[in-house]
Amino acid sequence: MEISIFGFSISAPSDVIAAWISTVIMGGIITFYVVKTNKFPLIWSYLRTTNHRKIGTLYILFGFLFFSRAGLDALLIRLQLAVPNNEFWLFQFEKYDQLFTTHGTMMIFFAAMPMLLGLMNIVVPLQIGARDLAFPFLNAVGFWLFFAGALIFNFSFFLNSAPGIGWTGYAPLSTSIFTPDVNSDYYVFGVQVSGLGTIFTALNLIVTIIRHRAPGMKWFRMPLFTWATFVTAIMILLAFTVLAIALYLLMFDRMFGTKFFSGPDGDPVYWQHLFWIFGHPEVYILALPAFGIFSDIIPTFSGKRIFGYSAMVFSIVLIGFLSFTVWAHHMLTVGLGPLLNTFFAITTMTIAVPTGIKIFNWLFTLQGGLIRFTVPMLFSLGFIPSFVMGGVTGVMLSVSAADFQFHDSQFVVAHFHYVILASTILGIFAGIYYYYPKMMGLRLDETLGKWHFWLFLIGYHLTFFPMHITGLNGMPRRVFTYDPGDGLTVTNFMSTIGAFLMGAGILFFFWNIFKTHRENEPVSDDPWNGRTLEWTVPSPSPEETFDPMPVVEGMDPLWIVKKEGREMRTTTDHRSTPIARDSILPVLMALSLAALTFCMIYQWFIASAIFAVGLFALFIVRSFTDEKKEHYGKGEAS
Amino acid sequence: MKKLGLLILSGFTLMLSGCSGINVLDPKSSTGKDQAYLIWLSLGIMALVLIVVFILFAYFVYKYRYSEARKDYEPVDVEGNRKLELTYTIIPVILLIILAVPTVRITMEQSPDTSASQKPEDGTTKIEVTGRQFEWEFKHENGASVKDELVLPEDEDIEFNLHSEDLIHSFWIPELAGKVDVFPNKELNYVIRDVERGEYEGKCAEFCGVQHTNMTFSVKVIGKEDYKAYINDLK
Ligand code: HEM
Ligand SMILES: [Cu+2]
Ligand SMILES: [Cu+2]
Repeated sequence: MEISIFGFSISAPSDVIAAWISTVIMGGIITFYVVKTNKFPLIWSYLRTTNHRKIGTLYILFGFLFFSRAGLDALLIRLQLAVPNNEFWLFQFEKYDQLFTTHGTMMIFFAAMPMLLGLMNIVVPLQIGARDLAFPFLNAVGFWLFFAGALIFNFSFFLNSAPGIGWTGYAPLSTSIFTPDVNSDYYVFGVQVSGLGTIFTALNLIVTIIRHRAPGMKWFRMPLFTWATFVTAIMILLAFTVLAIALYLLMFDRMFGTKFFSGPDGDPVYWQHLFWIFGHPEVYILALPAFGIFSDIIPTFSGKRIFGYSAMVFSIVLIGFLSFTVWAHHMLTVGLGPLLNTFFAITTMTIAVPTGIKIFNWLFTLQGGLIRFTVPMLFSLGFIPSFVMGGVTGVMLSVSAADFQFHDSQFVVAHFHYVILASTILGIFAGIYYYYPKMMGLRLDETLGKWHFWLFLIGYHLTFFPMHITGLNGMPRRVFTYDPGDGLTVTNFMSTIGAFLMGAGILFFFWNIFKTHRENEPVSDDPWNGRTLEWTVPSPSPEETFDPMPVVEGMDPLWIVKKEGREMRTTTDHRSTPIARDSILPVLMALSLAALTFCMIYQWFIASAIFAVGLFALFIVRSFTDEKKEHYGKGEAS
Repeated sequence: MKKLGLLILSGFTLMLSGCSGINVLDPKSSTGKDQAYLIWLSLGIMALVLIVVFILFAYFVYKYRYSEARKDYEPVDVEGNRKLELTYTIIPVILLIILAVPTVRITMEQSPDTSASQKPEDGTTKIEVTGRQFEWEFKHENGASVKDELVLPEDEDIEFNLHSEDLIHSFWIPELAGKVDVFPNKELNYVIRDVERGEYEGKCAEFCGVQHTNMTFSVKVIGKEDYKAYINDLK
């Protein structure tokens, strides 16, 4: 399509133009709203904030924005695949490739990860009695780096340069030999920048959990979400570093003529090893925090403590460890040889054991309880059978010789959506409904929440269950159509209907948020009859929490004092607390890194050097405005 | 909740048992049959787990749900139960071992690797497969080569020597057997045993660029004598 504005004529495909127009309209509406209700002070405060709840809220807000964008991609994918030999809009060939690449990359890096990090940010300090994360400034930097990475990645589409190499970016397709345009660079740099932020946040969470637990909050009294966060953060530290290295090497291959992943000395299989040494732990990085959320919600609404707490902790740690030993099960068809294929089949099977322990412990937590079907509980209950179904196909995939059939077919697409949606996405929704009082001081509507839950759950099974059959009937993944004679029509059509049911569920969620904020009915500190420390602080949680500092007397500390009908004991004798001070520097740092990166993508090296100098200058400014300066060298000041 | 569980479960069995027409579960080579056997075995073993979980889940959720009659009930905290927890640790281990034994056997036998057999044995036909954006080329033992059409002799073991001229593709004939990747920098060998007469469709299973979807080929398995005549005609 050609458009001419002010004498310039631009040609762009109609989907890109549609995106520009709708973005401009949305931007206009938002600007109008901001000006009319004078939200500038609010925006300014969020730009400068280093408070864990506010940063967590930002993570969730933008994670959800990108979730919607990637969800829209999913609907477009499903429309194109709805019927055989379809030509929906222009989503065939490279446009289809860009769709699944954006969908996958955004869902993993810019939707699931940030929403989980957001929940960790909000909840972990409240669960362990910390006043903030250990390094509030770094926390803001981490968030804004994620934001910058997402911005870069999203921008590619608006310039009609979206990457089309799959979320796995396999070499040599991703090298400059086969995709010389900037499209693949957007993938490399977008993921790299946000990954850096993720590493910072992981470090921050680790230190927070080690250093800033309230008096009496021993390791084996920590809520399971905190445990899951701790293990996850360590995994992020290891896995995302590998990803960073892989992307770095790929950047050199693409821009500076090295040949790590092609040519006589390089090997495309190296990329696959690096990517999956990151990629497999990544799927547990997505799942473990969700397990943690369910492990806190299920006891609350069963009215009894988690069954087998120590086994739960042990299995989290074991899953975290084992997840680093199985990466090559994504590479069973690359010819690693019989021995390695067998080895990775066995290691993969072993992960089923700790996972199974967790499932049964959740089940036996329900036994003998008094189950209240609130919306967070519904999401948690929906998770159990759904996730087990994904686990079942997981074990089937680990059978190497059988995987020669499953691999890269729609069966695999069915499998990983089963596990990721059941754990991560249901977990995130459960967490948002459960913690909305702490985030916003409001409780989301239960009736609309139930609509959201049922539509989403039914749509999810309707989309992904038939997809197993589609795969077993021989449909590969990443193909944009099939023939009427292939026997794939019925199951594909069912999947498309299911996807729209899920979409309808999400619309109910939007409506719910809108309605809840319009009615604006404040909620109590402990609306769910909770068991842990986060329900002792006001809703929404203020910037100065835990003053005075509570003393933790066991697991489920709030429950203990509720049963004994007394108040929580407090103390003034505790470790020094993190010092938070608002600062605009994190945003500026992230923006200059984004600008630097943008110039790198287009190989404007001089401009990027200038932004690099700018970034360095910001580091110097930072070192002169360190809020902890007065405390250095004075030991444990409080 | 309970109804949903049952619905899913019955759907699961119905769809799979009713559909012996599903390509991968009804393959036309003994290599593919071994793979289908593993699929059924793993599905069967895992279905046991699935049923136990679904039943426990439905039962607990139904029995312990909140109701007017139970609203004053105070649940008792249970820390855990060593014996029970050991049970559901050990039983899965046993189930996995049962699954692992045939997995190891068949995987060791079938895995593609880089060492080609030098001289074709009796009953083995060699095919050299070349993948490139976006077509397949098949070279028969007598040197004749054809594009996007693969003709094979029935009841023979077929040894494929695969390599690519550009990037990674993946060679897959779902109705015969599993896939194997095709690399630019190495040659892989994959054997499909006892192929049966029929017409099938082959596909590229590794995303390789714009025309990946259309990188398909047709497969015909014909009588041995017909095959000989066919390759001689090609010359
Ligand atoms: C909300 C409903 C969703 C629908 C209807 C959906 C649909 C799909 C479909 C049909 C594909 C396969 C495209 C192809 O192979 O041609 C796909 C790929 C993928 N999806 Fe989803 N999806 C959804 C949600 C999610 C979520 C929540 C995640 C992760 C958090 C996710 C992650 C992925 C990934 C990683 C891929 C692989 C992309 C690639 O092949 O490079 N999806 N999705
Ligand atoms: Cu994996
Ligand atoms: Cu291909």
